[in-house]
Amino acid sequence: MSAMAGAPLAELRTGHVPDDQLLVRARGVTKRFGGLVAVNSVDFDIPRGAIVSLIGPNGAGKTTFFNMITGYYVPTRGDISFDGHPIVSMKGEKARSKKPHEVTALGIGRTFQNIRLFSTMSALDNVLVGQHVHLRSHWWDAVLRTPLLLAEEERATERAHALLEFLGLGARAHTWARNLPYGDQRRLEIARALATSPKLLLLDEPTAGMNASETREMTDLIRRLRAELGLTVLLIEHDMRVVMGISDRVTVLDYGEVLAEGSPAEVRANPRVIEAYLGRGAAEEG
Amino acid sequence: MSSLITPVEHGRTGGLPAWLAHLASSAANWPTAYRARLQERPRRTVLLSALVVLVFAYPLLNRAVLQPFSRNVFPLPAPDDTTVVFMLIFATMAIGLNIVIGFAGLLDLGYVAFYALGAYSAAYLASPHWSGVSILLFSDLPAGFPGIHLPFFIIFWAAALVAALFGALLGAPTLRLRGDYLAIVTLGFGEIVPVFFKNLVNVHFSFGPIQLVNANLTGGPLGINPIDAPELFGIKFGVIHGFNAVYLALAVVAMSIVIARNLERSRMGRAWMAIREDETAAEMMGVNTVRTKLLAFGLGASFAGFAGAMQASYQGATTSDFFMFATSILVVIMIILGGIGNIWGVILGAITVQYVDKTLLGWVGNRLKDTGVAIGSPQLGEINPSQFSFLLLGLALVLMMRFRPEGLLPSRQRAAELHAAPPDQALGSAAVMEIEEEVIEEAEPEDVDATTDPPPEPGAASGPPDTPGRPGGVT
Repeated sequence: MSAMAGAPLAELRTGHVPDDQLLVRARGVTKRFGGLVAVNSVDFDIPRGAIVSLIGPNGAGKTTFFNMITGYYVPTRGDISFDGHPIVSMKGEKARSKKPHEVTALGIGRTFQNIRLFSTMSALDNVLVGQHVHLRSHWWDAVLRTPLLLAEEERATERAHALLEFLGLGARAHTWARNLPYGDQRRLEIARALATSPKLLLLDEPTAGMNASETREMTDLIRRLRAELGLTVLLIEHDMRVVMGISDRVTVLDYGEVLAEGSPAEVRANPRVIEAYLGRGAAEEG
Repeated sequence: MSSLITPVEHGRTGGLPAWLAHLASSAANWPTAYRARLQERPRRTVLLSALVVLVFAYPLLNRAVLQPFSRNVFPLPAPDDTTVVFMLIFATMAIGLNIVIGFAGLLDLGYVAFYALGAYSAAYLASPHWSGVSILLFSDLPAGFPGIHLPFFIIFWAAALVAALFGALLGAPTLRLRGDYLAIVTLGFGEIVPVFFKNLVNVHFSFGPIQLVNANLTGGPLGINPIDAPELFGIKFGVIHGFNAVYLALAVVAMSIVIARNLERSRMGRAWMAIREDETAAEMMGVNTVRTKLLAFGLGASFAGFAGAMQASYQGATTSDFFMFATSILVVIMIILGGIGNIWGVILGAITVQYVDKTLLGWVGNRLKDTGVAIGSPQLGEINPSQFSFLLLGLALVLMMRFRPEGLLPSRQRAAELHAAPPDQALGSAAVMEIEEEVIEEAEPEDVDATTDPPPEPGAASGPPDTPGRPGGVT
């Protein structure tokens, strides 16, 4: 899988990767909240098989951008396509967006900055909800407990256990999400996102609140997601060691605009980035 | 390894024959399964079996032993057959409302509307109300008898279907609303429907080919009667047919329990609970929230349709007085007292509330009267506790909220919610969770440009201070 990552990433700037190697292609994406321009005309590419990071100071528009890719916010204007399917397209002067559950069905899974598990459901049920979009049984199958439902439930449960195992949560299947330790909750969120069968995984600050060794484990896990499951990953992260360590490319947002992009080394050396971002309060995190 | 990421496959499963074979094999396996359960959880199984036997023996027991001697032998009065039937009718409704409120977390305060729709649908299809026509099906009435008279097993499902359709119809425009707003809209619906049934009695209406002159659509305040008694396999289950109806109502409740439990343990049940826990997260995980909530609303309403059909056919009459707003509140009280989210809890709630309301309070009234006579102050007998039933239920609700907010037989979720530490403390190292504004906060965008510093969330006050000085709070 990492071989796949190497070739198309030779050129690290948006617009330089051929379209057929792109998983996400965003052009001129703008989001206004009243008078505030949260994201201003951003172009952004995610090549297949890449680990791409989106960084920037608080309020730079990172999560807003995430929320537009997943269909939660409708952009003010712009185009976003995913794997050849339009997620956001312009219809006249207005942007049209697919609904979040439709985007999930296309293959985008995500985690949340503040953990948003289904807190009084078991870890297993959380993962099963993630599979919801790909299950076919209807309510009448449930009422009658038809063979379709029974077979599907059995397979889905098996897969949910396998996912929990992969994330190291095998022993926690029947524990309520809220009773899991913090690190396990973070990983359960990833398990739930994987259950949606994504091609692209969006991780919103996966190492927030973790100590050094937990952070290292999380970084290894993200690498494994690409190597073993062939996922493309988009990461929002404040921990610069994580960003610089695993990203193929990094895009810096500031005040809703792209300030810089390129390889981690290029971004780190960019004087504008140092001034706008690393030079301020956030630097101590890096 | 990549099988981890691919969705599960959906093989062909053989349709109806496979289902029947499955049913047959589960039926054949039942004794083995029962024995296994008996060894696994002996006390629970024995208790449950005893309860089932007791429930089925109750009408006979009531007739043979309880009623003649109840005053002397038992400290509390035994409910009569009609009260038992209504306990079970309300239990059916409680099971249905529990799907809407308990599973999916949608506060529906107008549930009585679906009860009314079920009852009137049943009444229309099994009474002389439409006297202009004569449609008889499997009926022992003479040919040409006025009105529509369909057999009970048809009107029962028709009533459920009508209730479910109206549930979906009400839900479609309103389920985009969250929380309180939904409650208010359903409240309005619950008020409108009975008024509608009460008043559509002298209707003058003309629209194109439809000409109604002085049309009696609903029977007005008198309602519709007589409605045919339920009849299955030649056995009648009306109010005049002794305790037969208790068994019919038991069958309806048993079916409702099976349906509700099967739904709870399915993909749909999980989606409902996910919406209850965190609607936004559920949506982002691929749950079509509008459709899923609509389904909860429609399926929940269909149970009220069952109950309505039971009420109308059992009593042989239905009027809008049965469906006043207070009945909605009564069902909500039942499921709160019993334990929201737990099917057994809400059934217990329905039975308890009906028992107190219909049997216990009247009995207390009689005791007061006796006591009044005995101690020479007959004024005591003029107190009628039945008039205070809502006062007492309100009091019970207040006491419950104070001492056992999760209900008599709570679901594990509710009990945990109301007794455990708030999640932030339970998380341990989560105390260092960032206090940046919620990821996809539902806050109005206007808030975003008005604030320069996102206000810290009260729940996360123990975290480190936010990095200051950046506009907006949407990341």
